[in-house]
Amino acid sequence: MSEAILEVRHLSKSFGSNAVLKDIDFTVRPGDVTSIIGASGSGKSTLLRCINLLETPTNGEVIFHGQNVAGKGVNAASYRSKVGMVFQSFNLFNNMTVLENCIVGQTKVLKKNKEEAQTNALKYLEQVGMAPYINARPRQISGGQKQRVAIARALAMEPEVLLFDEPTSALDPEMVGEVLAVMRDLARAGMTMLVVTHEMAFARDVSNHVVYMAGGVICEEGAPIDIFNHPKQARTQEFLSRFMER
Amino acid sequence: MEKLVKLGTDMALLWGNYGPKYLDGVKNTLILALVATIIGCVIGLICGILNTIPYTQNDSLPKRFVLKLIRVVVRAYVEVFRGTPMVLQAVFIYYGLPYFCGFGFESVWAAAILVVSINTGAYMAESVRGGIISIDPGQTEGAKAIGMNHVQTMTYVILPQALRNILPQIGNNFIINVKDTSVMFIISFTEFFAFHRYITGVNNMYFPSAAIEMIGYLCMTLVASFLLRALEKKMDGADSYELVQADSLTMTAGTYNHPDRGSNFDERSKEYHQNSMGEGR
Repeated sequence: MSEAILEVRHLSKSFGSNAVLKDIDFTVRPGDVTSIIGASGSGKSTLLRCINLLETPTNGEVIFHGQNVAGKGVNAASYRSKVGMVFQSFNLFNNMTVLENCIVGQTKVLKKNKEEAQTNALKYLEQVGMAPYINARPRQISGGQKQRVAIARALAMEPEVLLFDEPTSALDPEMVGEVLAVMRDLARAGMTMLVVTHEMAFARDVSNHVVYMAGGVICEEGAPIDIFNHPKQARTQEFLSRFMER
Repeated sequence: MEKLVKLGTDMALLWGNYGPKYLDGVKNTLILALVATIIGCVIGLICGILNTIPYTQNDSLPKRFVLKLIRVVVRAYVEVFRGTPMVLQAVFIYYGLPYFCGFGFESVWAAAILVVSINTGAYMAESVRGGIISIDPGQTEGAKAIGMNHVQTMTYVILPQALRNILPQIGNNFIINVKDTSVMFIISFTEFFAFHRYITGVNNMYFPSAAIEMIGYLCMTLVASFLLRALEKKMDGADSYELVQADSLTMTAGTYNHPDRGSNFDERSKEYHQNSMGEGR
């Protein structure tokens, strides 16, 4: 078994007296595509935000290549540059064009020169099928297109892990397909991904590990075939049966 | 009508005698207002950035203490300079310094620019804070997620957008400065209004001179607001964009599940070609 890229150990997070995450433990290895599923409010997104340090964990460790990044005195910015994140609401920079969105991180954070960054950005924009739109501004393109640009922006940083926080939840059904197609290609190409999603078909068919969360704890995890076909926990069974009815 | 003609001739007379003096005043007023507004904006931006540096429980105690202290100092600066009249601030600094320290300003220009700048800065600090708050926090998270630190996030992502949003406010401040620098006559700074006082001291044509002043100020502010609107429009960027496509016939991703796919209207289906060829004959 290869060495873990990312380990979450005894992670908990409270907002005031409200405990959102309780003692979460799991491991991400290179090439893993992990889907985190569960009802709204079960702490999935908070978990992802804690992993990227957008939220400060109340307790526990986030270990990246053997180093705890959730402790004091860690350079969060340099860690984040190695862990990409794609948001539900895209969060593209509205003051820049599509191309500039994919360049700015490379030149300012990774200190690449302009030409190299541009070639790199174009490569990833091509990969997500947004190369023709490099001169557009975020307000001029559709939701699905924005999300594909957001994925290209994250990829352009050449991260070791890519986190997806409900990447298709803000899109209408027609656009969900184009974003999932891009994500499926990434998974096939061996990208390590951690995906919070409500797309059960994606979790079942694309990921190699599924984590079901309920009430701030990991209720059940395992291979997709086990979780979807033979869920052991009653809560998992109930959650999945509600989804499969639709 | 007669009165208007008289006013006109009086104004023409004044302008004939003192035209260059009035223009000199206009020049000084504009330079002072422009320089002070720019410096004030820089002060405001710096205060805005300092005021919004985030800190968490994970940061060390000295860092949190320093950040808290910065916020208190900025707050005090804003409250003091926003809460007292500029006239008094000018007097306080220009005449107070020699009284208190034994040295003062060599140049009245330096004193005037300083007073108007720190005054504008106090207002701008609040405007900038408002502008930063107005930007969706998602933008900050997007920038953080690709590894930008606070200063980079501010300079490349948040401030360009915040500045666009507060541009009307900056324009407001500039126009206010054009008019309010008239109180600088108190430290004998020779701006537009100071020449009115000087000229009407020589003769008694208060009203015609005031009319010239009114028109002068109005012209300055109208030009300023016209230029600012043009700048706003420029900052918004083009309304349209050009598609960059090597081959105009290639479909972009996202069109792969085109609704016509598999139907008779699909270009790739045999039936489509048969139909279209049939129609062609």
